[in-house]
Amino acid sequence: MDADAVETSNLNRQPLFGEADVGARKAAVAAARLRALRPDARIEPLDERFAAANAAALVRGVDVVIDGSDDFATKFLANDVAVAARKPLVHGGILRTTAQLLTVVPGPAGCLRCLFEDPPPPDAMPSNADAGVLGALAGFAGALMAAEALRLLAGERGAYVGRLLTFEARTARARLVMIRRREGCPACRTPAPVA
Amino acid sequence: MTLDPERIERYARQLVIPGIGREGQERLGAARVRVVGGSSAAVPGILYLTLAGIGAIWIDDPEPVGPADSGHWIFPPHTVGEPRERVVVEALQARSRFVLLEPHRPEAVPTATVVFASSAAQAVAAAERARREKVPHVVVEWDGEGGSVVTVPLRAPCYACGRSIGGAGRPPSASASALSALAAEELILLLADPAAARGRRIDLTRGVPSVRATARLAGCACAADIER
Repeated sequence: MDADAVETSNLNRQPLFGEADVGARKAAVAAARLRALRPDARIEPLDERFAAANAAALVRGVDVVIDGSDDFATKFLANDVAVAARKPLVHGGILRTTAQLLTVVPGPAGCLRCLFEDPPPPDAMPSNADAGVLGALAGFAGALMAAEALRLLAGERGAYVGRLLTFEARTARARLVMIRRREGCPACRTPAPVA
Repeated sequence: MTLDPERIERYARQLVIPGIGREGQERLGAARVRVVGGSSAAVPGILYLTLAGIGAIWIDDPEPVGPADSGHWIFPPHTVGEPRERVVVEALQARSRFVLLEPHRPEAVPTATVVFASSAAQAVAAAERARREKVPHVVVEWDGEGGSVVTVPLRAPCYACGRSIGGAGRPPSASASALSALAAEELILLLADPAAARGRRIDLTRGVPSVRATARLAGCACAADIER
């Protein structure tokens, strides 16, 4: 699912696209390439934004949600809708030389909103265009997310359930932050403490 | 190698990263990287090196494509029996006109090496060759979906000092792409900013990386590299 067209600056990290695809719709190109690789798989391109109007219906029909979007509003929407639908969510993000992963599943472990509450203000964080993206790090994070989704689909416990992994490529340092359901979290709807 | 406007547009997201920038991207473009091992597990790493704008990538794997390879997208059934290095070069060259991919020539000396060997013995031999050639190198140790990546900049403790002492791990599984991409990432950072590179080992266990600096083993021949 993607509502953008392929740009030249995508080509350092998005291996489904080549130079000949610049200007074409990402969803259609990605689906065609994946079908060529795996003709037996059912692949449907969705050339639209994941938005409040369509999110609940989209999530209802899947077994796991993988969020590789590049804006905070979409990430928080994916979190809220997946939690409400009790569907597992594999969240991943990358900026500059840092990758971040978290898996949200129904249960005592927390969600993205338990940790951050709200998205940062629109101008508080630099965009990919301003901050850059290390292409191979996107590949690393994407492969970790795919492996995590396969674990969940196989019925195993996810590696990032209730713990946010942050990996900084230049130092190679990883940090795990444990996330429990937060009282008063508007996504988990955990009751707020009585005053 | 100077960046022309086409390359500036192509690598725009890397040019703004501290530690890469214009100088780092030019170093990547001038690099000649020998890749030891062209199995399906190595392909994601080679692909990300190609997308990053490494100048020349030499694939060193004359083994024929076998039935075990042929489930992977880069090795369709009709390639069984062909040298892996040729199949990988033909498949990945189309991904970037700014990068030259070729099968490795024995006499060619690279500026860096990355080792995706299929056995511990091959990894040790390839790393030792790189040390003797005085080129920085990155070595992958597969272990199922995880494993380790050992980074050896010039004058750092060698691979023999930093490798697993427990011997070879399990063969790479279909989920080993993350380790392969991690090795490419390590090599890209090492080439782009050699002054910042340190000898280190990153272990990837069930999707969680951990890093430690490598230390020189007492009596190792690589101690002589410091003087070079």
